Amino acid sequence: MEHQYFSYDNKIVKYFAYATLFWGIVGFLVGLLAALQIVFPAFNLGLEYTSFGRVRPLHTNAAIFAFVGNAIFTGVYYSMQRLLKTRMFNDLLSWIHFWGWQLIIVAAAVTLLLGFSTSKEYAELEWPIDIAITLIWVVFGWNMIGTIVVRRVKHMYVAIWFYLATFITIAVLHVVNSFEFPVSMWKSYSVYAGVQDALVQWWYGHNAVAFFLTTPYLGLMYYFLPKVANRPIYSYRLSILHFWSLIFLYIWAGPHHLLYQSLPDWAQTMGVIFSIMLIAPSWGGMVNGLLTLRGVWDKVRDSAILKFMVVAVTGYGMSTLEGPLLSLKNVNAISHFTDWTIAHVHIGVLAWNGFLTFAMLYWLFPKLFNTKLYSQKLANTHFWLGTLGILFYAVPLYWAAITQSLMWKEFTPDGYLAYPNFLETVTQIIPMYHTRIIGGMLYFIGAILFVYNLLKTAASGEFKNNEETSAPPLEKAPSKRIFGEAVHSWLERKPVLFSIWALIAILIGGIVEIVPMYLIKSNIPTIESVKPYTPLELQGRDVYIAEGCVQCHSQMVRPFRSETERYGEYSKAGEFVYDHPFLWGSRRTGPDLARTGVVTGKMYKPDSWHFNHMLNPQGMNVQSIMPPYPWLFEKDVVIASTPAKIRVMQSLGVPYPDGFDRQSEADLMKQAGEIADGLVASGFQVEPQKQIIALIAYLQRLGTDISKSAPNPNLDIENPKHSGLPMPLPTDANALAAAKTIYDRSCIVCHGALGEGNAIGPNLTDGYWISGGSPKEIYGVIADGVILKGMQAWKGQLSEEQMVGLAGYILSLQGTNPPNAREPQGELVEN
Amino acid sequence: MENNSKKVKYDGKPLEYDFDGIKELNNPIPPWLVYLWYISLIFSAMYFVYYHIYKLGDLQDAEYERQMAKAVTSVQKHHEESGQLNMVILAGDEDMADGEAIYKEKLCATCHGALGEGNAIGPNLTDNYWIHGTGDVASVFDVIKNGVPTKGMTPFKDQLSDEKILQVSSYILQKLQGTNPPNAKEPQGVLVE
Repeated sequence: MEHQYFSYDNKIVKYFAYATLFWGIVGFLVGLLAALQIVFPAFNLGLEYTSFGRVRPLHTNAAIFAFVGNAIFTGVYYSMQRLLKTRMFNDLLSWIHFWGWQLIIVAAAVTLLLGFSTSKEYAELEWPIDIAITLIWVVFGWNMIGTIVVRRVKHMYVAIWFYLATFITIAVLHVVNSFEFPVSMWKSYSVYAGVQDALVQWWYGHNAVAFFLTTPYLGLMYYFLPKVANRPIYSYRLSILHFWSLIFLYIWAGPHHLLYQSLPDWAQTMGVIFSIMLIAPSWGGMVNGLLTLRGVWDKVRDSAILKFMVVAVTGYGMSTLEGPLLSLKNVNAISHFTDWTIAHVHIGVLAWNGFLTFAMLYWLFPKLFNTKLYSQKLANTHFWLGTLGILFYAVPLYWAAITQSLMWKEFTPDGYLAYPNFLETVTQIIPMYHTRIIGGMLYFIGAILFVYNLLKTAASGEFKNNEETSAPPLEKAPSKRIFGEAVHSWLERKPVLFSIWALIAILIGGIVEIVPMYLIKSNIPTIESVKPYTPLELQGRDVYIAEGCVQCHSQMVRPFRSETERYGEYSKAGEFVYDHPFLWGSRRTGPDLARTGVVTGKMYKPDSWHFNHMLNPQGMNVQSIMPPYPWLFEKDVVIASTPAKIRVMQSLGVPYPDGFDRQSEADLMKQAGEIADGLVASGFQVEPQKQIIALIAYLQRLGTDISKSAPNPNLDIENPKHSGLPMPLPTDANALAAAKTIYDRSCIVCHGALGEGNAIGPNLTDGYWISGGSPKEIYGVIADGVILKGMQAWKGQLSEEQMVGLAGYILSLQGTNPPNAREPQGELVEN
Repeated sequence: MENNSKKVKYDGKPLEYDFDGIKELNNPIPPWLVYLWYISLIFSAMYFVYYHIYKLGDLQDAEYERQMAKAVTSVQKHHEESGQLNMVILAGDEDMADGEAIYKEKLCATCHGALGEGNAIGPNLTDNYWIHGTGDVASVFDVIKNGVPTKGMTPFKDQLSDEKILQVSSYILQKLQGTNPPNAKEPQGVLVE
């Protein structure tokens, strides 16, 4: 048969390879910086742009999308042309893909450091970049599928199956998880709220691991490992089985990131069992890789490349066993929110992705530059540095994780937390953090040797942009399955059909888990007292998001004695219905903040504490590793952005009253003024429009919704008994919350935090009243006092509105039955 | 047309196709991997049936209730065994050392100064002016235990046992009261003679 002559595009491969080297170094370096920051707060450099909350997402995004991403494209562009015996479909698309991807990375780096973040892990980028990613991903897919269509090889090799699955699934994940409603150019709110947002995010987050870090690398393994070892793939049937079972099962496992959290039990169970079922399919890839090396084990000793590959594949096997084990609820109860997760992902990325990338590029550079590797010895040194680096990184973190988790959970025999001060559990593991830095440095030094070795190799060789080659044209085959042709074999020559089946396989799990979360109301039981954030709190929440507080602080109290004792009541699904996006977090470098606003709670700190603490954390706790946030005291909240934010929230279904956007700025200033006045009264210098005020407002709101009682019949303004007041009693949550602040400032000393009364003042929660129990009488007592009995008159100090608010708040306490209530005094009044 | 299809029956030789020189064998899947697969499927099915069909295991809310009930029983048992606390000022060296350690570790020092002199947040503990109570051991004990949340005083009842609160109260009364530390905050509250 006549051969057709064409060339492989090596230039695009070279560019992606150089980008991999560059971003790899950047990603590792930023990781090192983050590791240093955890031990030495000074490495936050006192700048908002370089504080840990912004650096960590930069590290994860650089490692995943810049380093691993470019490595994937390097390998895919090299192997696909050769596996399909054709040049890439379209050079222009290749170059749009290359430059588009690099621009996205640069834009990501800049915006993340500026604090433009959606806060969703590995999906932090704001909406304009999300759109750019979608477009570039389509360009990649178009180029890839085009190449498959014009191929000269009838069947698609297993590597191509994995590339296709990667393209399809990442497209679906990215688009679905990135649905967000723009407020402005660099700010948006997730269309999902609370539990739904968490589920969609971890469906995405988990499968970003599956389909960005795993499937494309399995594809690369299937090409480069047999090439390097010069051995046939061990088992074709194993390839088929583990490919389909892997992509079908992986997509279900996302909820294992939310075990013991406010996710319905059935969804958690899906996360557990599908993770367990994933062990064998994942190991199928490892087994097929390692058994392919049968017969060349003697070469492994001499070849650095094969050594990298063996450790990569073994690391893959370890991570994919460890992942399912961490998904068992009893293991997760110990591991979650600790450094165990961090150690786990680093085994995956440093060993599996990192080492396979190193192996691939050590093999590829001599091929591309028609020369020999500059130094085998350096490559071997790199291998040992890298391996030691991984061990020194991961082992101390496992140790740290278990130590800290046990400290969190330990109780004294008389029923107290053995380590009630969270900071003690952090100080304990600082030595492990030091060792982790050494591990990271070893790995980084290895990577420097790697880059040097490859650049020397490139310099010594000769690069051709186009590699001339030839192949016979593809014979036309009947579309239908031929008699005797195996089904899968037929599918391998039908790329469109293959893709459709892959799409179906990956859609099922997501649909079964996500759709019921919307349609079945019982999945997220409503809590009446949960109300939308005030405008100031909403702005404060955005400060919290921009500063990346969620990187270190969870907002999710799990139903464990050790957590309810430390933080307060465990979190309920209904609390998060207005949280666009959710902020549950995944690591507790600092304590959980879900209940930090509950005045009677265990986590409560007054405004003044937060103020001092954000300015100088080490001033409050010498050993604290939290960075200071001085810029929050200088920067203003953009108050003018409030109405737009309220309107977007309304469009997303948050029930602010009609026209509330127009009052929102005034409302914000009022609340900010009250907080600032309180701080000024305590001797602090602050202006109400500063970001710190908004952040304090948000922190003081956290957890208060469910500690408030449900709307009380006593507050019925239609009730004629309520007449005689200067204005109607408050009914909305904001007014009651404002009244509570006054109560907490002025009344609590004598009537108790919950109105239970104490040695001085009477109980306000029973139906008994000494000086009358109608709203008017209560108002009168507040305004004029009962001087003889010690009750002060407040009318000189509080406005009429404030006093009516207080009367309303006191009535709302009726019937709450607080602990340690004082015995009833006075007369029973039926309201 | 048979050569259009990859043969899937395995005879020990590579399959007919090769991809850029990569050949494929078609070895049987190692039996241990197949068994692992079956075991994981059976485990998962049983897990689902156990928790969601027959509802034999506790789901997380029930598990929490059980955990808390167990804790109450064990704490009660401990109290029965260890007896009641006597509300008197302690003076032993060991108690003072423990009290001092708690004072410095549990962040008392953050708001009341290392020497009890007070600072922008908390009042002076060395003078004999008291905002809450009359400076007797019971009222100091009460303030530490239950806190004064609105004034910023954290309740320590969840963090310190009664014995430890008594130790730190005694430390304050024995070792800090009456000292004259530098930078002392102005008196607040009521003078107690």
